[in-house]
Amino acid sequence: MASSNASNDFSLQGKSALVVGAEHSVGRAAAVTLAEAGARVVLASQEPGTDKRLKEVAKLVNAAGTKPVIRVQDAAMRADLSATVDLAAKELGGLHILVNALDTPAYGPEETNDDTAFDKIMENNLKTVWMSCQEGARVMLRQGGGVIVNITSVLAERCVPNAALYCAAKAAVLNLTRALALEWARKGIRVNAVEAGWLEDESSPANKGDEFSKTMLKYLPYHRLVKPEELGGALLYLVSPAAGFVTGESIAVDGGLRARV
Amino acid sequence: MILDSLKLDGKVAIITGAGRGLGRAMAVKLAETGADIVAAARTQSQLDETAEAVRKTGRKCLIVPTDVTVSAQVNALAAATIQQFGKIDILVNNAGGGDGALGKQLPEITDDEWRRGIDTNLSSQFYGCRAVIPQMVKQNRGKIINIASGYGLRGGKHNFMYACAKGGTIQLTRSMALTYAQFNIQTNCIVPGVFPHNEATMQFFKGGKFIPIGRVGQDSELGPLAVFLASDASNHITGELIAIDGGGLAGGIAPTGVSPENTN
Repeated sequence: MASSNASNDFSLQGKSALVVGAEHSVGRAAAVTLAEAGARVVLASQEPGTDKRLKEVAKLVNAAGTKPVIRVQDAAMRADLSATVDLAAKELGGLHILVNALDTPAYGPEETNDDTAFDKIMENNLKTVWMSCQEGARVMLRQGGGVIVNITSVLAERCVPNAALYCAAKAAVLNLTRALALEWARKGIRVNAVEAGWLEDESSPANKGDEFSKTMLKYLPYHRLVKPEELGGALLYLVSPAAGFVTGESIAVDGGLRARV
Repeated sequence: MILDSLKLDGKVAIITGAGRGLGRAMAVKLAETGADIVAAARTQSQLDETAEAVRKTGRKCLIVPTDVTVSAQVNALAAATIQQFGKIDILVNNAGGGDGALGKQLPEITDDEWRRGIDTNLSSQFYGCRAVIPQMVKQNRGKIINIASGYGLRGGKHNFMYACAKGGTIQLTRSMALTYAQFNIQTNCIVPGVFPHNEATMQFFKGGKFIPIGRVGQDSELGPLAVFLASDASNHITGELIAIDGGGLAGGIAPTGVSPENTN
């Protein structure tokens, strides 16, 4: 008998996926993974004015699988998100998979955080995720089911100084994931999360060669940062038909960070 | 390519408790995905059935009757694997379970019953890790999957040995992960929810009561999760627990469908 048929359990052939935050390294990695597994993908931005970056991501997704649909939008605008979700469902004949790769890093001392900073940080890192889940679920409930993955951070569980509100927002995304999973558990929608460890990308403060970066590398079990593409396996498992009994859960891709004291 | 990284062609996997239930399901799925299997359990007849199912996929199955509470037998299991296949890529520490002492009043639990509960569920996994690690270190490659339980994270009335052992499984997983990260060995934990193996449990959870997603788990569903954790697709995941429980650990404190009264 021939070799493996991993494809059957993890294949996304015939599935449609929307990635929100596709301009970020993690969104890009998510989109490429979904395309490689056979899904048709809509790339939606978190920020407006990201046409160029989305086109670059689209090239990678095209090479990986199929030509994606591009949607530059402002994920903080409910009307934009709503229209994006409807467009995705229309273009792809339904919406099976929603991946929220929404993130706006916010590092700085507490004394510089004021009420405006609170609103901004929560809006960019939490409210966008919640709005996107609501809009996605609107379509998925109509269809009878779907799957959502929220990509958050190990900061949700392992804090650092200089990031109080950012850590709080990341944890809120994690708990929102669990609560929404319970909300829609009997309505066919699974909701899970991927917790990204300290990433090797342009926005990561651990990737700068400074004292903080050196310290992280010393204490991370693998002594290196997580490459965004390394999130792909966990993401694929969670959205695949094989994970039909998994909901309200989070998989951390963190090279063992959370396992240590 | 992500789908390629999920293949297990040519890998060798030891699975304990492989005679039935979750162990058998994982053995068959790992084999379907390309791995040769070393099946360990106490009961020869059950192992024979598992081997038949594995061989139907075209992969090999070595049967090693093993009492996982006896470390010499677990060592022999590892040795037999190396002798037959020359390597150990994957260990699934699945053997375990409750027994007659589960539910007993605390003052009536004997020393023997305490030790047996810990040995069956935790010592067995420790012995397994200890037995395979030298080979995995030599290879600079390995995957260890420890099967835990919701009772490894939460308590239960009159549930002492099983809960303590399963809690230990989680800590064993974390310490193994940290100790052997530098040798490219990932150790992770699967936390199964309700996967009934008797009529009484099926009746208790009938209609998916207490389980948010509305149904109990099917043994076969453990398979793809074990494949994921045994594959290159999870190489940067270690010391992690993954619950496959229909949302039970996220909720599950009351029959599902019950929610607080609206305040809006």
